[in-house]
Amino acid sequence: MAVYRRSFRTRNVLAILVLAALTLITIDARSNGHGVLTNIRSKVSDGFSPLQRATHAALAPIGNFLTGAVDYGSLRSENQHLRDQVAGLQAEAIRAASAEQAAQQVLKDAGLPFAGNVPGVTAQVIDNGSSNFDNSVTINKGRASGIAPGQPVLSAGGLVGSVVSASSHAATIRLIVDPSFVAGVALPGGNLGYAQGQGATHALKVTVIAQHTGGTGSSVQLPPPTLKVGDPVITSGLKYENFPAGIPVGQVTRAVVPPGASEPDITMTPLASLNNLDFVQILLWSPQTSSAAG
Amino acid sequence: MSPHVAARLRITLLVLAVSVVQTALGSDLRIMGVAPDLMVVVVICAGLTGGAEAGAWVGFWSGLLMDMFLSSTPVGLSALTYCLVGASIGALKSSVLQEHRGLLPVAGFVGTAVAVMLFVVVGDVLGQTQLLGAGRSWLIRVVVIESLWSMVLALSIGFVYTRAARGSVGTERFRAPANPAVPTR
Repeated sequence: MAVYRRSFRTRNVLAILVLAALTLITIDARSNGHGVLTNIRSKVSDGFSPLQRATHAALAPIGNFLTGAVDYGSLRSENQHLRDQVAGLQAEAIRAASAEQAAQQVLKDAGLPFAGNVPGVTAQVIDNGSSNFDNSVTINKGRASGIAPGQPVLSAGGLVGSVVSASSHAATIRLIVDPSFVAGVALPGGNLGYAQGQGATHALKVTVIAQHTGGTGSSVQLPPPTLKVGDPVITSGLKYENFPAGIPVGQVTRAVVPPGASEPDITMTPLASLNNLDFVQILLWSPQTSSAAG
Repeated sequence: MSPHVAARLRITLLVLAVSVVQTALGSDLRIMGVAPDLMVVVVICAGLTGGAEAGAWVGFWSGLLMDMFLSSTPVGLSALTYCLVGASIGALKSSVLQEHRGLLPVAGFVGTAVAVMLFVVVGDVLGQTQLLGAGRSWLIRVVVIESLWSMVLALSIGFVYTRAARGSVGTERFRAPANPAVPTR
């Protein structure tokens, strides 16, 4: 009898907890990121961020050791590859300086904002994304430092993602590899398109929009782009875009025209290394401020 | 302070500590891009040592805590998943599974695999289609590697959890039928 009562009670408890969870899911889904649960999430994030920061600092050597032990072979080859790249980039930097001047002049003439002119805030990553289905990281700065949802986030290599939520002293960044992430991009040859994340282990997919609007406002139909592997992809920064122009996003890894198709199938890998982010820069920019300025 | 309250307090502290370690160190332990989930191991241990009810309670609250650190899924999805896994493991333990040295690692492996698939399937049904956005190959990889991680971590986390839960109501209830000296209500 006692066993039966216990089983009955367990079923009741389970039913109540399942209903509670389903209610929370419904409330959160209907609030669209502005409800009471978002505020609680924000408060919890603020409350845990000092603990996370301290734990991250204390356990980072252990994590680095384990990462190094697991990836020792690939790290050695990557090290050599990076040395070769640095040598190439030193020569490239000299050529790029003059090209950047010309590019900034074009953007200025077209009235488009350029990432290089936007002030930024540097923040440390305290949670590198511990879930396998959530491509996001948490940083140690939030609204108190001027950070707000929608702002672009960069690292040394280029675009990392955008701020998705911010509390007083912490913020969450959605990475560019997340399937829900989309950014307008400019391709070599004047074509425009958009890049979309395909998950942490997949390259980003680039879809070309063949219409190119020139600086004078005229619309020009360009031929499909002829891209090669290694071509750079940068943000387009068009009006109503989520990012200013000129932020390096990635490099083309595949560009082939499938049989019977008129547009190429393009994929690219992010320039920024997203695996172990330590410091990132948040651009204090939003499409609204850009429109107001323009 | 009664032993039950002390045990609950210890379990709460353990869950909080695991959540901090998970968020601070979890991503550094990635193998082939897949991180372990320490919290699901805690939930499985709760189900094994405390029974279905304890598994459900610990699963719900620890899942809710982990939901606070996720940005792309709604609050309550992890709570629902962990609650069901904890309760199922607890129910199986008290009705089907026999005490065995390898039970904890095996339960860790199977429980984690079920938890990952449940999370993705329930999320997809509730409109979280991005969970399957990376493709089925990614899902299979996560299921296999995360489950192997849980299998490896199960013994150490189980050791800590058993000590934290010593004296709790759930543990007594689970052990009561096996020990005739302890009167049942």
